Amino acid sequence: MRRLRWLVPYLFLLPGGVWLLVFFAIPMVTMLSVSLQEGSLGAGYALTFNFGIYPEVIERWSTQFLRSIQYGFIVTVLALAIGYPMAYTIAFRGGRYKNILLLLVILPFFTSYLIRTISWKFILADNGFVLGTLKEIGLLDAGFRLLATPVAVISGITYNFLPFVVLPLYVALEKIDPRLIEAATDLYASRLQAFLRVTLPLSLPGVFAGSLLSFIPAVGDFINAELLGSRNTTMIGNVVQRLFLTNNDFPQAAAISFLLMGGILVGIYFYARALGNEELTR
Amino acid sequence: MSQREQETDLERAIARAFARGRYSRRAFLGRTGRGLLVAGSALSLPSILAACGIGPQASPTPGATNGNGNGGTGTLDWANWPFYIDQDEDTGESDTINQFEEETGISVNYREVIEDNESFFGTIQPSLAAGQSAGWDMITPTDYMCQRLIRLGYLQELDWSQLPNVEANIDEVYRGRPLDPNNQYLVPWQSGFTGIGYNIELTGREITSMDDLWNPEFEGRIGMFREMRDTFNFALLRNGVNPTEATFEDAGRAAESLLEQAPLVRNYYGNEYTDGLANGDVALTMAWSGDVYQLQLDNPNLRFVIPDEGGNLWVDNLCIPTGAANPEAAHQMMNFVYQPEIMAQISSYVQFISPVPAARDVLAESDDEEEQALAESELIFPSEATLDRVYGYPDLSDEAEEARWLELFQGVVQG
Repeated sequence: MRRLRWLVPYLFLLPGGVWLLVFFAIPMVTMLSVSLQEGSLGAGYALTFNFGIYPEVIERWSTQFLRSIQYGFIVTVLALAIGYPMAYTIAFRGGRYKNILLLLVILPFFTSYLIRTISWKFILADNGFVLGTLKEIGLLDAGFRLLATPVAVISGITYNFLPFVVLPLYVALEKIDPRLIEAATDLYASRLQAFLRVTLPLSLPGVFAGSLLSFIPAVGDFINAELLGSRNTTMIGNVVQRLFLTNNDFPQAAAISFLLMGGILVGIYFYARALGNEELTR
Repeated sequence: MSQREQETDLERAIARAFARGRYSRRAFLGRTGRGLLVAGSALSLPSILAACGIGPQASPTPGATNGNGNGGTGTLDWANWPFYIDQDEDTGESDTINQFEEETGISVNYREVIEDNESFFGTIQPSLAAGQSAGWDMITPTDYMCQRLIRLGYLQELDWSQLPNVEANIDEVYRGRPLDPNNQYLVPWQSGFTGIGYNIELTGREITSMDDLWNPEFEGRIGMFREMRDTFNFALLRNGVNPTEATFEDAGRAAESLLEQAPLVRNYYGNEYTDGLANGDVALTMAWSGDVYQLQLDNPNLRFVIPDEGGNLWVDNLCIPTGAANPEAAHQMMNFVYQPEIMAQISSYVQFISPVPAARDVLAESDDEEEQALAESELIFPSEATLDRVYGYPDLSDEAEEARWLELFQGVVQG
């Protein structure tokens, strides 16, 4: 029996490995295969190794790609700007209320993503209780609207992914030993300097994790653009949705998905290098 | 470079294994395993890619996977459009469905899940292509989608022996239609017009022409449909082309007109345009005849008009997808609604064109004044003059042709 001990680590890896294989590796390969096929619903698809589809797709949908990345970037910056003070307050000043505050941050997740986004449709409605009231008071003119603009889409996505930023930031900030800050102030650092030179660098793993968790889904998001946006806010996710469900153009949709994934991977690689080799699991 | 360095890892490992008897298998496998893994996957990748194909999506034998149902009991899963059946304002329930459930004992799961044909097709296509049930016993797509479903073999043939009421009461015009010459698959549900729905309070005047949909005066308050056929039809009509005779060049010009219009459009809607119209997001939008009249009950400022340039005439059909669990119940529902009294009840609410001419007599003889007026309604029983002003859709039964039009349209809707 002892001879089989070398097998044990592999057995532990097996569930995870199988899961990765079935739900990640195989779909990846299938999607790559589909993207290289040509055909139609009725006539069937044939693998023709049509690599030409990738340059076509880049050329055709470059606006939507860039727009999605731009939105994702803005969303991440906004989410960090809003989430960092939140996480900082909860971690350092939370005291007894830490758990309740964290619960309040996660509370919106008790409802479905779709319903949260639809509720934004009501909040931002042209003559709803927010804009309508402001218009009646006279702060806004009657033609002003937020829905069907990029502002609405970005706000919706930021709101939806804010908890994903707050939680990793909280975890990273909570780990910081307050005595380090004390030590910094003992050495004649001002509060701001202590923050910039002690707290901020130590919280970078949280910033890295949070920004990934908000940027990646934000780039691929389509629900906010569909419900809150218009033609001019079309993101790459909407394009894939229409190609797949309406046009039944599976190869093009698969190619876009693959490109998006590849692009994000490359971007994240450089981001990780830029942030230094921080240990994420400390 | 010395000879040793030129040797690959593999060769070195082998050499070492023979030179030192105690070279463990693990170390050997570790070095070579990596190389073999890479080589193996590189060699087998093309064949793996080829195996991960999508086969032809058409079902080989239409109707081969019929469920045998429960012979008149059980549940009926019916997918339909919103605003498409009589509905009590207070309870939200449908008299027609309640009566059906009482009479037959079948419980009806009526879901208003169809917002536009194309996305609904997208939801049922994967299951039907795999030969499985799509989860519906009866669905209500529009003509062209029915044509596609028939072509792909996704619909079951109807058993007309179970449909005596349909046989007796159906309008003659629906027998032997080009898309279903022997009436094997489809039973018309309702027919209707696509025109312009508008809020007279927001537009400030009556709307009669399609040019107003292109009018910069209404910038940001205009709605169009995200379904290719309806919207392209409007653009073709505005350019003076008869849609049923349109060529791809005509479609190109229509797409240009639509691109001109795009900055003025608030959004491209499916059936949810009714929300936009009702709450004032849009001042005027493409609309379906019956929807607007149902919205009028709550907001008398809403109007519907068939534009001067022309409108669209479409037919929605009841049909049974393959793999349906309870096709008997579907047949019973079809038979039930084709009684003139029931169809009159439905028409008086939905205000779409009824496929049962006898329903008109039922309404005319009713005690209710409102219902008597409906018997004369142009929307439910249109006159020849009205029917002359509306057009059908281009014939895009050829997949490749349809794909080109869809691609063109995607450029309009998504840029």
